[in-house]
Amino acid sequence: MTRSRRTPYFLLGPGLLWLLVFFAIPMAFMAYISLNSGSLSEGFEFNWEWQNFSDALTDYGTQFGRTFIYAGVATVLALLIAYPLAYAIAFKGGRWKTALLFVVVAPFFTTYLIRTLAWQTILADEGPFVAFLQGVGLVGQDSEVLDTPGSVILGLTYNFLPFMILPIYASLEAIDGRLVEAAKDLYASSKTAFLRVTLPLSMPGVIAGTLLTFIPAAGDYINADFLGGAGQQMIGNVIQNLYIEQRLYPAAAALSFVLMAVVLVFVLAYIRFAGSEALMGEEEERA
Amino acid sequence: MNRHLTKLVAALAFATLAMGAAACGSDLGGGGRDEEVTTAEAEGTASGELAISNWPFYIDKDTVPEFEQETGIKVDYTEDVNDNNEFFAKVQPDLQNGESGGASIYVVTDWMAQKMYDLGYLQDFDKEAIPNFEDNLVSNLESPAFDPERNYSAPWQSGMTGLIVNSEVAPDLTSIADIFDPEYEGEIEVLTELRDTVPLVMKSEGVDVENATTEDWLAAIDKLGEAVDSGQIVDFTGNDYTADLARGDVAAVIGWSGDAVQLQADDPNIEFVMPEEGCIQWSDNMVIPVGAPNPTAAYEWIDYVYEPENQAQITDYNYYVSPVDGVKEILEKQGSDAAKSNLVFPDEEYVANCSSQPNPPAEDEEEIEKAFQQVITG
Repeated sequence: MTRSRRTPYFLLGPGLLWLLVFFAIPMAFMAYISLNSGSLSEGFEFNWEWQNFSDALTDYGTQFGRTFIYAGVATVLALLIAYPLAYAIAFKGGRWKTALLFVVVAPFFTTYLIRTLAWQTILADEGPFVAFLQGVGLVGQDSEVLDTPGSVILGLTYNFLPFMILPIYASLEAIDGRLVEAAKDLYASSKTAFLRVTLPLSMPGVIAGTLLTFIPAAGDYINADFLGGAGQQMIGNVIQNLYIEQRLYPAAAALSFVLMAVVLVFVLAYIRFAGSEALMGEEEERA
Repeated sequence: MNRHLTKLVAALAFATLAMGAAACGSDLGGGGRDEEVTTAEAEGTASGELAISNWPFYIDKDTVPEFEQETGIKVDYTEDVNDNNEFFAKVQPDLQNGESGGASIYVVTDWMAQKMYDLGYLQDFDKEAIPNFEDNLVSNLESPAFDPERNYSAPWQSGMTGLIVNSEVAPDLTSIADIFDPEYEGEIEVLTELRDTVPLVMKSEGVDVENATTEDWLAAIDKLGEAVDSGQIVDFTGNDYTADLARGDVAAVIGWSGDAVQLQADDPNIEFVMPEEGCIQWSDNMVIPVGAPNPTAAYEWIDYVYEPENQAQITDYNYYVSPVDGVKEILEKQGSDAAKSNLVFPDEEYVANCSSQPNPPAEDEEEIEKAFQQVITG
């Protein structure tokens, strides 16, 4: 009896240990750093310097706003691209499903860094892509694409797109085709069947996909670094700059916490709005 | 939540705090080391292994193997210095504990060498072990303000910060003032190095940079900030401006002299332009950090590159200003183009308006650095 009651804890053990060593302890250390004052040359001192937190908000409000706009727009764009694609693979893919999924994941065989750097070349002023955009009048003759908000959002969308496609695909794939047939038997049009059966059943995938896209996009700095210029730096770039260039470790740690808190609040609000059941995929079973 | 789970979470939270506190027991540090500066003593004949950290594109392919063959020392030469601050951030935790992180020689710019020395992170040279350095260092570098006796820094190469221009796109861009001309809106990049970019802007405002006040520095930083806001300056870069110039994304950058020559090999339109206001001159220096293993081999290396023949080979590759006497004659004899280049052997007239790289006023350095970084991060 006792043994069976303890078993779950043993099973949880490795995971909890991992969480403790690689998440909880570093977080505690970071919290400690964030409350230090001083500088590298004068020495740091722990003295509950809460001002680091208020400074983080007042000094970098612009970059916070920019970060959430970029990450938000990228998430919406990724959703608009990913949903039809996942739908097509799940329902029209047939025997090509595996191959198509492989194609979605294939870019991951190249490192993130290289893929982002490749966009620098694609979006270069003299490159064919920009020439095409200028040709069709999407951008002005003299205007540039690289080092604009557009190029950063494009990079974010591109890099996190697979994280949107895969969960949506998984939830679409799991839908029992007979439910759609049943809807149509009950005189639902294709549109109604989609809106009242397929879409609600795929919501867990949509929620998971948006979170998997938005959260890393909000903390990203590579895209703004490589594809953006001086006016497009995101909060990740500021943290990197504070830590590496200015060596203001406490300010960098405080800013990281503020970012985490803001993202957390955002995610909680979003889940509450969307319903946590949607995320866990229990909504329909209960209904 | 069931009772057991609650207990578990509580236990976990407690363990976290306890271990976190233990981790925090070790001080964050900073403030440098308190020990006296030591001299890295040379002992007997050099042998064993030697690790060197240097900047990219600073050495030809043959020098290291030839040195290894001649001395029997095995060299681990790493190009891991891309930015003084970034490199410092990487090695500082080791240095603070009196360790060098494995390397026996770092190559850093004047001001960073001084900063490391002031924090107690560097060792003095054992000058008897480096006779070539004593004999062959060019006279104008013998006593810089930060190390008047050259006790701890040996220049690797010197260089000039000025303009690198795509002359096809911007043939008339000849001064720092010109980079603020609306004609070049969105076509300009400047360096992330505070001591390169800001002094040049101050020069364009007619400020004597070596005696500039905090207000002068901040005014120049403001000017850069406005240029960023208006879209005039598109980005702040390190060495990566070379890619942006090569792709034709920008017309001109504030950049380093030797880079221009290397870019020219691919695109003859790209050239170094000495700004009408003058340039900023600096040196990157070999230094020996605290805890450096095998200092004897480090001296062997310094002495080797201060041999004019060996130095000529390096200079002929990187096209920076050589700190070693006698290199010009050797390159002339070899018929190298480098011997004729004003970038490698600048005559007095060419650098007449140039200034040696200034430091911001010490008491306001952090404020100035912060203002500059805030412009960079938009």
